[in-house]
Amino acid sequence: MEIVVLIKPVPESETRLRASPDGRRLDSEGVRFVLAGYDESAVEQALLLKENVPGSKVHAISFGPARCGEALRAAIALGADAATWIEAPPEGSDDPILAARALASALSSIPYDLLLGGKHAGDDEEGIVVGAVAELLGIPSFGSVTDVRPAGPSGLAFQRPTEAGIESWETSLPCAIGLQQAWNDPRTAKLPNILRSRKAPIAKVDWPTVAKALGSESSPRSLSEEFRLPAPRSGAKMIEFQTPEEAAEKLVRLLREEAKVFP
Amino acid sequence: MTPTVLVIAETSGAAVAGPTQEAFGVARSLAGADGSVVAVTIGGPSAARSLALLGPKEIWVADVPPESITSGAVAILAAQAAEESRAEIALVGGTSFGRDLTGRLAVRWGAAAATGVTEVAIVRPGALRVRRPVFGGRATETRALTGPRAVIALRPHAFPEAPATGGAPPIHVLDPSLLSASKGGARRRSLAPAETGSGPSLADAAIVVAGGRGMRAAENFRLIEELARSLGAAVGASRAVTDAGWRPSSLQVGQTGRTVSPQLYIAVGISGAIQHLVGMVSSRTIVAINTDPGAPIFKVADYGIVGDALAIVPALTREIRRVRGLSET
Repeated sequence: MEIVVLIKPVPESETRLRASPDGRRLDSEGVRFVLAGYDESAVEQALLLKENVPGSKVHAISFGPARCGEALRAAIALGADAATWIEAPPEGSDDPILAARALASALSSIPYDLLLGGKHAGDDEEGIVVGAVAELLGIPSFGSVTDVRPAGPSGLAFQRPTEAGIESWETSLPCAIGLQQAWNDPRTAKLPNILRSRKAPIAKVDWPTVAKALGSESSPRSLSEEFRLPAPRSGAKMIEFQTPEEAAEKLVRLLREEAKVFP
Repeated sequence: MTPTVLVIAETSGAAVAGPTQEAFGVARSLAGADGSVVAVTIGGPSAARSLALLGPKEIWVADVPPESITSGAVAILAAQAAEESRAEIALVGGTSFGRDLTGRLAVRWGAAAATGVTEVAIVRPGALRVRRPVFGGRATETRALTGPRAVIALRPHAFPEAPATGGAPPIHVLDPSLLSASKGGARRRSLAPAETGSGPSLADAAIVVAGGRGMRAAENFRLIEELARSLGAAVGASRAVTDAGWRPSSLQVGQTGRTVSPQLYIAVGISGAIQHLVGMVSSRTIVAINTDPGAPIFKVADYGIVGDALAIVPALTREIRRVRGLSET
């Protein structure tokens, strides 16, 4: 099975967020970027399938600025066989539809049976790219998937928790999946593999090539205008009380009359 | 400026999903007095009749069996309805169905796209501005979407549900042969319904009551469940609770669990590690009950009670039952 994993570097979760000087986006100065959390699960799922289906290959691809290289090397250190960086326009772009078009265009020369991505990235949380790539390629797609397993000679079975319950699906290939959870926690890379990944080749598709392929579709249609941190919450209004009953009565009154969260 | 706004409805039998009712409210305000709201459903005639009560000007309907509902199939039908209605904006509710559909429909229909949206405004014809939480609610971003077409998935609970207005709009049936263009052999084999009787699911709930290590033992967690029942709330838990096996990991709220954004989040005996906060900080109102006045949860909470959860929670449950006129059950 040819498995392509779509990955995105995101700021590590402990990053102290602040706006860039122009106020339009996150200030990435000094921020450490890592593989997005659900993308780690997608890589894990890809490796599990590779281990279970003989002859499989895992190819990690990423659209974005130069820091994609680090995320791709992380995927190689975990066990991906190949990596491709698709360069974003020099002014940057965080339009998920443009990302999907660039990825789909690169996939015209990369073999795939299964596309895996995280259900969404931990930074913008759009969750748009996997479905949009699938639509561009004309293949089925499923988001928020758990537990992908081989089924029959050339199919997959998986689960999908939704508001209504847990759905069980079977699908033929090719298809695209936005992963919530693999059947294992993501593995950690071994040191020798990390060292080896530093020298691994990463194929690059430069932006002019992408832009030419996309033609009139190469301009972003979703632009970040403002990145704002919430006003620091002033801290909780503390409820003074003598007995638990008094605490309960005061809290319920505040919730009804001030916060108006229930009648 | 007279935009036509298409609501892509989600229905279960004849019931219109809460997030779809929220989308109707947003659609009405975007359409304004001169524009119009139209709707599409794949739930067949009974769904269309329920939808009519929300007052769309026209309805497009298809009847797709649940085991064949894929985002690819829905994108084809929704794009057709969008073309026929000459819509400029398509709205979907913030469900897993809505999020799956957004990217596909945007590509198929040639639209810009955004998900998790908490505010949306038309800046001028063909240009929209949306606001959405990012980084687990630790920040928000404003994005400019270049139309004329845009697909917008709303964040659940960010908008009130639109009241029914009644109406008997024309209903157009979408040609089922459209789906022959849908590729792939995907089939839903089964659906294990979400447990009912235990209240709403974490993802949907307007109120969440979550317990942490401060509950001290697995058997005390029933106090959390009783409080949740009195409020019609879902039960959540911190990682300490699920790691200890007091409750299943499906209840875990936080970075490695679920992200929730209810109207009211009551954190009981949860200190508020950043990994927990990212999963709930975008809740509208937050209440914290904890013995430690220095616990970080009080920094993000709106209301705080410093005290022993095992004493406060039962008193709170009794008080809520009292004001809601519920008997002790």
